[in-house]
Amino acid sequence: MFEKILIANRGEIAVRIIRACKELNIKTVAVYSEADVNSMHVQLADEAICIGPGPSTESYLKIERIISAAEITDVDAIHPGYGFLSENPHFADVCESCNIRFIGPSSRAMNALENKAVSRALAKKVGVPTPPGSEGIVETQEEALMTAKRIGYPVLIKAVAGGGGRGMRVAHNDISLMKGYVAARTEAEKSFGNSGVYIEKFIENSHHIEFQILGDNRGNIIHLGERDCSIQRRNQKVIEETPSPLIEYKFKDLRKKMGKAAIRLAEAAHYTNAGTVEFLVDEKGNFYFLEVNKRIQVEHPITEEVTGIDLVQQQILIAMGEPLRISQGNVQFRGHAIECRINAEDPFDDFRPCPSRIEMYYPPGGRGIRLDSHIYSGYSVPPYYDSMIGKLIAYGKDRREAIDRMSRALGEFILTGIKTTIPFEQAIMQDPNFRRGVYSTNFIDQLLGGARREMIEDLA
Amino acid sequence: MEREGFKIRMKRGPIFSGSSVVEEHVISEAGQVTQLPVAQPSQTLAPTPPPVPAAPAAVISAENTKEIKAPMVGTFYRAPAPDAPPYVDIGAQVNEDTVVCIIEAMKVMNEIKAEIKGTIVQVLVENGKPVEFGQPLFRVRPA
Repeated sequence: MFEKILIANRGEIAVRIIRACKELNIKTVAVYSEADVNSMHVQLADEAICIGPGPSTESYLKIERIISAAEITDVDAIHPGYGFLSENPHFADVCESCNIRFIGPSSRAMNALENKAVSRALAKKVGVPTPPGSEGIVETQEEALMTAKRIGYPVLIKAVAGGGGRGMRVAHNDISLMKGYVAARTEAEKSFGNSGVYIEKFIENSHHIEFQILGDNRGNIIHLGERDCSIQRRNQKVIEETPSPLIEYKFKDLRKKMGKAAIRLAEAAHYTNAGTVEFLVDEKGNFYFLEVNKRIQVEHPITEEVTGIDLVQQQILIAMGEPLRISQGNVQFRGHAIECRINAEDPFDDFRPCPSRIEMYYPPGGRGIRLDSHIYSGYSVPPYYDSMIGKLIAYGKDRREAIDRMSRALGEFILTGIKTTIPFEQAIMQDPNFRRGVYSTNFIDQLLGGARREMIEDLA
Repeated sequence: MEREGFKIRMKRGPIFSGSSVVEEHVISEAGQVTQLPVAQPSQTLAPTPPPVPAAPAAVISAENTKEIKAPMVGTFYRAPAPDAPPYVDIGAQVNEDTVVCIIEAMKVMNEIKAEIKGTIVQVLVENGKPVEFGQPLFRVRPA
């Protein structure tokens, strides 16, 4: 059993990991930037080490400072959370060479899925369907045009090193493709340090459905069902739910098919620990592999609620060398869970981030409500990091109950001194199409266009 | 250590709580955990450093002084080697390039410069102790 773990992250996920450790009787070390000195994860951990000033590049991304902190507190393992260094194979290697266990996939698995183009090639190799597209990286404008001609417009130009919904551009014809190709390469170099791009068919009215996987160090891999994350704004997830209404109401056999495909790909990559295999599903029920997220994900709580499995604890146990004690046949799904990401953004001002001081904070409660958050009354949201200040999860025996509970919880959630996306999410809960379970990835665009805006303002 | 019906687990004392008490947990047969604090000499993490002059007990006025802060995370050493004299002591005159201490991180000994001109009036960290980013190491009266 690990005695002590360092959490190389901040905010709500750091609190989440600390909670999992406490329940396993493992001591915790928090690292924090000077901007986070009053943050909740610092208060909850047994020990805390300051690792630099506010900006992430000066603190949470400083590998040597995190390793130093791990050494002086003599931890057994590091949990990287999500974002930051969680998918950095170099960081995983440094941990292992310093005799500190990295709680996540091996660097070998990370390298097998090193970027989107490599993962796509591996998927093809093991017979997992991928969207029609280029064979690999597209080196020239001519190649881009030829690919588009072959697969047909519209197409998506994607940065190979992109992730988290970033680094993608749509092109509807040759002219926009030529312009978009050049712009995409420049942006990719700046944002990801890698100008490589590839091209995929743009699947319209698609559904983003991802599968949670767990693998131990002995090659046993299981999936824990899907999460439907189609409710996105500018490719950033806003609401996630499980089971997926598309699968549950229309294509029930997809769960087994896609689950098997996810495991097949994970096995080919010798994947270990927790991960998520992302797919797009079209209106006809065809599914296509997108990418693998090689870490615990923001929306993991909804899977926990319907399966009863603590994913962060499983990560820790797997990292300790424990074999998976759950077999695929033992995985049970009960009820329905929805998550709303609560962001410090103004939905009435194009979702402008509003980091400010929270005056009054009254969190929702009652049956079936879970809130994963690090905020409190008087807390000042720092401007250096992403705007998510919490995740509200509602669980019900069925989808209807989960939606009603989420709506009740959003309605009783009080946050003053700060603007949040709560009224926006309340509008989505009331939306007839959402309630019917009929939506795809263009849902929010449609919601925010024109007449629907009044509904959001009314509910604020 | 195991005795009939009891199990005792020794744990390291926490570094930053300032206590030198090692906690013991006694698990009774019924499975309840009771804590018995036991005074023990605190354990040092680094190889035992040689004795160095401690900071004087006299109250140091904070007026007209500036702090030299740790630019990294690691273990603080006052001298280049265990048997060598410390880089600086109280009263030492320093300028921007004077090496005042070492912070060891990942087996690399990093020489830390004063980056200020003046006189050392206080040493704020004990030799061999861990330091975090931004932690004050010395107090200096600027020239």
